[in-house]
Amino acid sequence: MKNLLAWLLWFVISAVIVGAFWYAPLAQGFLGESSRILFFHVPMAWVSFVAFIAAGVWSLLFLFRGRRPKDDRAAAAAVELGLLFGVLATITGALWARIMWGAYWNWDPRQTSIIICLLFYAAYLALRSAVEDGDARARLSASYAVLGLAVAPFLFFIMPRIMFSLHPQSVINAQGKIEVESRMVQVLLVGSAGFTALFFWIHNLRCRLQALSDRKSAL
Amino acid sequence: MRNASTWAAEATSVFVKEWRCEFRTRYALNTLALFAFTTLVVVSVSLGPLGVSRAHGTAVLPVLLWVILLFSVAAGLPRSFVQEEETGTAMALRLAATPSALFCGKLAYGLTLVLALEAMLTPVYVAMTNLKVVSPGLLAGVLAAGGYGLAAGSTLVAAIIAQARSKGTLFSVLAFPVLLPLLLLSVELTRLAVAGSPPGVALPQLLLYDASVTVAGLMLFPAVWNP
Repeated sequence: MKNLLAWLLWFVISAVIVGAFWYAPLAQGFLGESSRILFFHVPMAWVSFVAFIAAGVWSLLFLFRGRRPKDDRAAAAAVELGLLFGVLATITGALWARIMWGAYWNWDPRQTSIIICLLFYAAYLALRSAVEDGDARARLSASYAVLGLAVAPFLFFIMPRIMFSLHPQSVINAQGKIEVESRMVQVLLVGSAGFTALFFWIHNLRCRLQALSDRKSAL
Repeated sequence: MRNASTWAAEATSVFVKEWRCEFRTRYALNTLALFAFTTLVVVSVSLGPLGVSRAHGTAVLPVLLWVILLFSVAAGLPRSFVQEEETGTAMALRLAATPSALFCGKLAYGLTLVLALEAMLTPVYVAMTNLKVVSPGLLAGVLAAGGYGLAAGSTLVAAIIAQARSKGTLFSVLAFPVLLPLLLLSVELTRLAVAGSPPGVALPQLLLYDASVTVAGLMLFPAVWNP
């Protein structure tokens, strides 16, 4: 059964790659073929967002529901993967910005918030490596991750509003209208779902690996 | 169950204790003030004898003011928790006060320290860089609200890093991403105060940031503090 799910995931991700280059049309107002990178950039940004929210929720569960090591491992693995997808989203976004805006980096509000977010979660990992005792590490890093949840709304919802942005409107915008061609929406949605599934699959592997490693070091 | 008056008494005694310890050595005050003034001199000298033009000043000088404040706070504030762990007084403090009272006492100490620093630094900064502030009232409000946010965020992060290794560098690494939204809002508001424009939505947002960091601090501090 698990094997079947992995194959299904492989099929969906392959379909997204094929769809991004051959099925979806080019977006209007974008230079050349530059809009195709969005089929990877948007799902990656989405997954890093999901990962950070998930890390915050697992940290909350750890702190306020019995301090189980399982929740701590899940939060740490989610941060690691969120950081990976976040870096990939930043790189793909920078490549796209070079083509469309003429520079890799120009402190657009989205770029500002993603970089602060990445700094935050890199700091989370730095904190984990700076505490030797396992219980204290879990407790302190979970508290820090929840503090991140309290600050995150300012990065994602408020800053993009007070600063001028060139970033294209999100697929689902304030007016509730979808302004992207329907075949593009299909690829974006399947891509986001596929990447989310990919995240949870790797996350599961990472948690199991860490659980085994913890058990080994406890022996 | 402790009642409100014991809680207030505990918070006040923590606050009084902090300042009494501070006046014994004047470590934090001296570090903060010296650090701030050294940086101020560096900034002022680097800008040159003529300073920056009015147009550039509105854009640049508020940023430099908040950068000086941020780094001064990072140099002095973590001390209040690091010292408890280093001298071994943390355990006694855990027995003597409830976590929320302790957090509020420490926060009040941090806040008074930051406000004292701002009161000393800002007039000198304004004079040395020849910055003309059109709405001084708004500037004072921003300094108070921004200073509170700096103190609240730093107090919780200081409690976290006090229990880790490599405390000094770790504080900057952990605190800056948390404080950056506050810094961006404060810089924006300081620019508006210098230009004399109305504060707009940034002021409620700054107050909202202060409120959410305070709530998060009160909620998380017991978990951070009690092993």
